[in-house]
Amino acid sequence: MKNIEIAIIGAGPAGLSAAIELSKLGHKDIIVFDREDEAGGTPRHCGHLGFGMFEFKRVLSGPDYAKKISDNAKKQNIEIELKSTLVKIYKNILTFSTPKGMQVYNAKKIILALGAREVPRPSYLISGIRSPNIITTGALQRFVYMQKAKPFKKAVIVGTEVVSFSALMTAKHAGIKIEAMLDESKTINSYGIFKCLTNYILRIPVKTGIKIIAIEGKDKNVEGVRISKDGKEEFIKCDGVIFSGTFTPQSAIMQTSFDKFNHTNNSLHVTQNFQTYNEDFFVVGNALRGALAGYKCYFEGKSVAQHVHKALAEYEKPNYIEIQVDEHIQWYSPSLIDMNSLKKSLTSLRLKHNSKGILKVIHNDKIVFEKEIDGSSYKSIEIPWINGLDLKSTDNLEIKFL
Amino acid sequence: MKNIDLNNLFSKKTSNFSDDEVFDIAVIGAGIVGCGIYKEFCENGAKTILVEKANDILEGASKGNSAILHTGFDAPIDSLELECVKRGYSEYIKIKDKLKLPFLNTKALVVAWNDEQLEKLDGILQKGLGNGVNELELISDKEIFKNEPNLSKNAKGAILVHGESLIDPWSAPLAYVKLGIQAGGKLAFSHEVKDGHYNGEFWEIKTSQKTIKAKTIINAAGLYGDQVDAIKGSKDFKIIPRKGQFIIYDETAYNLINSIILPVPTKITKGVVITKTAFGNILVGPTAEDQESRDNSATVSETLKNLQKKAIEILPSIKDHKIIATFAGLRPASDETYYRVMINDDKNWITVGGIRSTGLTSSLGLAKHVFELNDKKYEKIKYENKPINIPKITEFQTRDYETAGYEKIICHCEHVTKREIKTACRGELSAGTIGGLKRRTRATMGRCQGFDCLSAVSEICESEKTKS
Repeated sequence: MKNIEIAIIGAGPAGLSAAIELSKLGHKDIIVFDREDEAGGTPRHCGHLGFGMFEFKRVLSGPDYAKKISDNAKKQNIEIELKSTLVKIYKNILTFSTPKGMQVYNAKKIILALGAREVPRPSYLISGIRSPNIITTGALQRFVYMQKAKPFKKAVIVGTEVVSFSALMTAKHAGIKIEAMLDESKTINSYGIFKCLTNYILRIPVKTGIKIIAIEGKDKNVEGVRISKDGKEEFIKCDGVIFSGTFTPQSAIMQTSFDKFNHTNNSLHVTQNFQTYNEDFFVVGNALRGALAGYKCYFEGKSVAQHVHKALAEYEKPNYIEIQVDEHIQWYSPSLIDMNSLKKSLTSLRLKHNSKGILKVIHNDKIVFEKEIDGSSYKSIEIPWINGLDLKSTDNLEIKFL
Repeated sequence: MKNIDLNNLFSKKTSNFSDDEVFDIAVIGAGIVGCGIYKEFCENGAKTILVEKANDILEGASKGNSAILHTGFDAPIDSLELECVKRGYSEYIKIKDKLKLPFLNTKALVVAWNDEQLEKLDGILQKGLGNGVNELELISDKEIFKNEPNLSKNAKGAILVHGESLIDPWSAPLAYVKLGIQAGGKLAFSHEVKDGHYNGEFWEIKTSQKTIKAKTIINAAGLYGDQVDAIKGSKDFKIIPRKGQFIIYDETAYNLINSIILPVPTKITKGVVITKTAFGNILVGPTAEDQESRDNSATVSETLKNLQKKAIEILPSIKDHKIIATFAGLRPASDETYYRVMINDDKNWITVGGIRSTGLTSSLGLAKHVFELNDKKYEKIKYENKPINIPKITEFQTRDYETAGYEKIICHCEHVTKREIKTACRGELSAGTIGGLKRRTRATMGRCQGFDCLSAVSEICESEKTKS
């Protein structure tokens, strides 16, 4: 077993920027672990442009961005262990499966930057056949940008999140004809301009407020998707289906290794300092709550570095208050407040559905914050810190959307 | 941009027999039942060929089941099913260590959820004892919660069945066929049986490819058993496919239960089971829906949601865990509930049909029974009994990712290595379909369902296809 000061799991934007920042703060005993055979994380297979504007003041493609952050880490002489899959967490002891055999490390502080994935078809409990041609955006991107291959010719995209339009671009790049974009929600789950462009420029129908009746086909071959809207049925012929969006953290190892789990976010509870109930563990980036843009993960990585640096320098016992939320909330972060630490805002959150309502913060049955909002599933809402809010660890603090 | 056909990643398997070869035995159907019979006849010296319409074993009913090795405590009294289940169970125990086949004795609880069901428990216990399954205990609700603290507090009482266990439903039949090959057995995959003619000496079975000649036919064609049986000239039974839908929970739920949770059965079905799987998940199912179609294994949203509801009713804390896969299996039920095993001596035709849900357990027992029924002597040939290699993919074996030298992990959810995928693509009994690859490696079976690895997996398969 090797003893190290800081272990970072995940060499994506969050993990690498944390490592670079910690190195700049003088920490040299850091290892970044990643299960893939190259560093860079998810941007590696996002072939489209749009990365790096905020961090590097230039427009990069995903692969170029992944290369840039990896190169920056190399310049700082940061040790990156590739092909290392975290299989067990016990106290501060991390066990990795590697082609060289199992490797065990004991780290003082551990940053989990595990990233996120899309929710695949089975989790939606949709009727119909099984087929390898029912895939996620992530799988499509890997086919198109890494293998230069297309698994089908005509497809429908399920979902209207930002990533769904990225799936559309990927399909277009590969010469896959998109027959329609479908969403059971009443309005699309991203900016309206996307719908206009898709409808009128690309002439691809974006159908919202529909119900997917079944994915139909014979044996393992998709023949089409049957949908209904306002009682009218429609059959859209295609030989592939792309389920896009609904990102969820790569959190299985977090759920099985720690007692307390944030089921709303599908991750661990963290404070405004990204610290978990286990003070030596930090979670950062999309491992916290599904997908935000790469630059947000990058800046979170920079930020967590400061907190880890501080936690290594001086021990201050955190004083945790857990925030509760209702079922309308898609995710909220942070979900813990460390009362002994600086508080800029209460939390940020997103709603599950596009809807209007009143957001309330309730402290021990007393409403301490109330705001009417026209909320959406794709824009974050920040709740400011409430002046004069004095919280004790036994208090009940709840956010409701009515 | 090249095209890639995910339903055609594997080359058609070539057959290795000559046109004028007359076999002693042709086993039709490479499901779990056919695989067991194949092993038995090959090992006893019969010149045997396994004939299968798909490009791999286990492509029909046998691909989806609950992976339980049953004791037979609830099998029909004095039935062939009971005899074969018990015999199959003990045969499996006999060979599992030598073949390094997995076995996890989880035990099972038949749980009563109301007073009416509670009253039925004693009857189930007596039936079990009558069936010669002695390790049965009636236990109180308190004892249930000692073993199963997460179970709903509505449990009233249960029968603890000590012998019920989990096995790997895919590697076991793979091992049986490999043993058969080692003993000289031949294979004919992608040979769909179309018709046949008995010339008084042997059968000429017409298939979608070559004609196969054999003195005795053993029909283990599962869902198509009645259609194949019609070739011999008489229709003795009818297959009524029974669909069973399942939901699979992520491995995060694995430790919520320790044993297999069975309901008090009704006349129609054993009911919905909640069990761990050999692959580290929780499985809930099956439903029992009779249907006409032999190939429609589509899942139905409402049914899946009901299964989820049922799971939460029985195991409330499972609500915090994710469903990662859904599937439906078709059981080859017949117009009667019993096993349809019969011999036509005039025509040297043996039917093994209507093996609906206990086939995984009874396979090796059925094989012995069928061999005895055939009642012919074959000259045993000498062959080298080499250790056979079968995948180690269950959670209670040392997995490949725990052993150095594997190149890299391809499927991260299920920890499947490149070495495992390459191995599965090679050799006489290599994967012939993407399902076959899953059954040998677990690749793409996990929570992301190929988000991460489908492209990489298909790339390896394509490269192996070019090599072969």
